[in-house]
Amino acid sequence: MTTQERNTRPLLFSASGITKSFAGTQALKGVGLDVAPGEIVGLVGENGAGKSTLLKIIIGAQPQTSGSMTLHGQPYEPRTPMDANRAGIGMVFQEQSLIVNLNVAQNIFFGHENLFKSHGIISWSKMNRAAQEVLAAVDITDISPSTKVSNLNFATRQMVEIAKVMDVTKRSGAEHCLILLDEPTSVLNEAEVENLYRQMRKIADQGHAVIFVSHHLDEILHITDRIYVYKDGSSVGDLDTRDATEARLYEMMVGKGTTTEYYHLDRQTVPSEEVLLEVRDLGIHGIFKHVNFQLHRGEVLGLCGVVGSGIEEVCEVICGDERPSFGEVVIRGESMRFSSPQQALAKGVLMIPKERLFEGIVSNLSVEENIALSNAHALSRGPVVSAKAVRRQAEEWIKKLRIKTSGPQELLLQLSGGNQQKVVFSRALASGAEILILNHPTRGVDVGAKEEIYAFIRNMTEEGKAVILLGDTVDEYLGLCSRLLMMKDGLVTGEFDAPADGKPSQVDVVSLMM
Amino acid sequence: MIKLNPAASITEEFAEKVRNENRNDRLMKLAPIFVLIALVMVFTATCGVSFISGGNLLNILNQMALPLVVALGLTFVIMLGSIDLSIDGTVGMAGSLFACLVLNSEFGTNLGLMGAVIAVGASMLCGLAVGLCHVYLKIPSFMASFAFMYICKGIGMVSYQGHPPTIQDPFIKALPTASFLGIPFITWVAIAMFALCYFIQERTAFGRHIYAVGTNESIPRSVGVSVERVKVGVFTLAGFLFGVAGVIGAIRLGQGQIAIGAGKMFPAQAAVVVGGTSLAGGKGGVTNTIVGVLIMTVLDNGLLVLGVNPNIRTGIQGVIILVSVILTVARGAKVISK
Repeated sequence: MTTQERNTRPLLFSASGITKSFAGTQALKGVGLDVAPGEIVGLVGENGAGKSTLLKIIIGAQPQTSGSMTLHGQPYEPRTPMDANRAGIGMVFQEQSLIVNLNVAQNIFFGHENLFKSHGIISWSKMNRAAQEVLAAVDITDISPSTKVSNLNFATRQMVEIAKVMDVTKRSGAEHCLILLDEPTSVLNEAEVENLYRQMRKIADQGHAVIFVSHHLDEILHITDRIYVYKDGSSVGDLDTRDATEARLYEMMVGKGTTTEYYHLDRQTVPSEEVLLEVRDLGIHGIFKHVNFQLHRGEVLGLCGVVGSGIEEVCEVICGDERPSFGEVVIRGESMRFSSPQQALAKGVLMIPKERLFEGIVSNLSVEENIALSNAHALSRGPVVSAKAVRRQAEEWIKKLRIKTSGPQELLLQLSGGNQQKVVFSRALASGAEILILNHPTRGVDVGAKEEIYAFIRNMTEEGKAVILLGDTVDEYLGLCSRLLMMKDGLVTGEFDAPADGKPSQVDVVSLMM
Repeated sequence: MIKLNPAASITEEFAEKVRNENRNDRLMKLAPIFVLIALVMVFTATCGVSFISGGNLLNILNQMALPLVVALGLTFVIMLGSIDLSIDGTVGMAGSLFACLVLNSEFGTNLGLMGAVIAVGASMLCGLAVGLCHVYLKIPSFMASFAFMYICKGIGMVSYQGHPPTIQDPFIKALPTASFLGIPFITWVAIAMFALCYFIQERTAFGRHIYAVGTNESIPRSVGVSVERVKVGVFTLAGFLFGVAGVIGAIRLGQGQIAIGAGKMFPAQAAVVVGGTSLAGGKGGVTNTIVGVLIMTVLDNGLLVLGVNPNIRTGIQGVIILVSVILTVARGAKVISK
C-alpha cells in the first residue's frame, strides 16, 4: 500500500505528540504514528530510541505524559492492557506472559474461563476444543491444547502467545484490530519466523493491522509495508518499505554527530602498549561465545550491541558477577577465575552498574557512607572504621568531582540523578580499581552532568586506567572510545580503531550491530 | 577493520540449554515419589515386613489424616508464594469452639453438628481476616498470620475459660473408632478434603488463577483477574481447612483445648515443601502435598518403630525440610531472598 492509497482510507490508529518522562529524563519527545487498516508498520531505532515505551503506552501498560491517541477516529485512552484488549488492541511482549504450570488451552483463555462454564464447573474438553481452533487459526496443528506450557520449547511458546493475543484481540469484536509485536522473532528458528510472517500477512489481509518492532532490519524490510525510524525519543521520519534499504535506514537511525568538545575529544589518550586485561575465547553457553579482545592502559574500549547481543554478559563475566562456560579472563598476564565481584575488585576490576537505583547506591545512606562502601577496610583501624577518615575522603571527592550536596552527611536519595552518579564514580575511583567497566554511565542524567561524566572518563585514562564502556548511543561510543568492538546475537561481528582524528562512521558501526 | 566469522548460532545453543533445564525439571518433579519408595524400602528392610503389614499401614493412614488436612490448606497459600503461620492458633481455636458448642462437660450447650459448622466458620473468618490484612493493609503474610496465631489462641482459651470441655455427645464420641470399608472415619474426612481441594485446584478457574498469581502477579492483573480476590480467597480456604483439622483433632481427643493445634504448623510446612511445592509459588499442588505428607508420616512412623529417640526424630525432620528447600529453591539467583 502506498502513502497515497493510505491517505484515502480512514486511519485505524493514530498517535500524535506523545511524550513520556521518567524521573527527569525524556524517553519520548513528542512522537506520532499512524496505522491504516491492512497495514504492517515497522518500528526501528537503536536501544533507548523509545520504541518499546511507545508500545507500552499504546497497550495501556504505562500512561503517556502528554499527547493523544485515536482509534477508529475516536479518542483512545487505555488505562490498563485490558482496556486495550477490549478496544481490539493486543500485544505480544518481549518477555513471555504464559503461566508455565498451566496448559496451553488454560493459558489462551486465562481470565475468560467462564466462557466454558456449565453448572458452575469449567468444561476443560470444551475449552480444549476452542483452543484447538484458536491454534489452527494461526496454523499450529502439532501441539495439543492440554500440553503443559512448561513442556513446550521457547519457540512454540512464542507461537502460543501470539495465538492467544490474536484471539483476545479478535474477541473484542472490533472490525479492525491492531496487534503489537515487540521483538517476537529473537527465539524463533527460520521456519517459525516464516510462519510468523505468514500469520502477520494473513491478519493484515483481513483488514487488521500490525506494528512490528525488531532489531533485525532484514526482517523489517521483508515483512512491513511502511517503516518508522525513531532516534532518541523522536521520530526521524517514515517511509514506504519499497523505498527503503538497509543503508538508508542506518543513516536515518544515527543522524548527525555531536560536536567534539562535548566529549572532550582533545583529551582522548593514545593507549599504551601495556595490556591490562585480555579476554580469550570467552563464552557463556547459549548467550555468547568466541569473544577475544585486549584492553590496554589508557584505553576506552566500547562494546557495542543491542539488547540480547551479549555485551552485558561479557562485562558481568569480567567483573566476576557471572561465571563463563568457556575461555578465560587474563589480568596483567595472570589467568583469573572470579567467583564474586569482591575477588575481581581485589585484582582492580570494578563495574559501575546500569541500574543505579538498585545496584549502584544505597539511597538511605549518606554521601560519605556510600563513597566508603567499597574501601571501608582501607579506612579502618582493626575492626573499627574511622569516622574521620570517611568524612575526609567524602569531602575530598565532593570537591574533586563537584558533587552538589549540602554535605557528606546528606542522604543519597536527596541528590539529583547526575550527582548520585558522581557519588558512584567517587566510590569507583576511591576503590583504586584500574580496570573500570562503565555500564551506561550517563543513563538518566541531564546534559550538564553528562559532560562532566565524560570529563571524569578522560581523567581516568589520563591517570593510566583502562575503561570498558557500554554506552547509551552510537554517538557516545564514537565520542569517547579509542576502539570499538561490535557484537550481534552473541558473536563478535567486527572491530574498529577509533583514534581522535579518525573515527569510523556511525553507519558502519550500526550496520555491524543490527 | 577485521570481520570475524560467526560460526554456529547462539539461538540453537540457547534452545538446547532450555531443553536440558526442562528435562531436569521433569526429573525433579518425580523426586518426591522416589524418596517415598526408598523410605518404604529402607524401613521394610530394617523393621521387617511388619512395616508394610495391614495394621501398620492403617496406622499410617490414621496418623496422616490430620496433618494432611492442615497441609492441604497450607499448599494453596504456599502456591501463592505466601506463608501462613496462624495454623497452631486456628486449629486449636476451632477444636476448642467445637467442643464448647456440642454436648460437653462444662457448658450447657448442645448444638450437635451445627457446632462443627460454627467452629469451621470461625476459622474461615480468621483466614479471611488474615487475607484482608495481608492484601489491603499490605502486611507481609507471615506477619499477618503470625499475629492471628496469637489472636486465635486467645479466642480459644477464652472460649473454655480454663476448663477444657470434654465431649459428651454419644454420636461424636463414637466417631474416632468408627470406620467404613476398614478405613477410619477421620481418614475418610481427610480423603474428602483432598478430593475437594483437588477439584478446586484442577476444575475451577479459581484454582488456575492461584497458579498464575504465584507465578507472576502482573499476568493475571493484565487480563482483569483480581489478584486481591484470589489471595483473600486462598487464605479463607486455608482457614476452612484448618478449622476442619481442629474439629477432627477435638473429635479424636474427645476434648476441646488449644493444645490441639500445638505443633501442627511445622509438620505441615515440611510436608508441603517435601512434596515439591515451591516456596517461591506457582509450582506444585495438592497431589504433591499428599506425597509429602506420606513421606513425613512414613518417616515418623518408621523411626518410631525403630525406637529412635523422639527428640532426634524432630531433629531429623528439621534436616529434611532444609534439604528439600535447598533442592527446590531457584538456582543461580543473585539476590538472596528475604
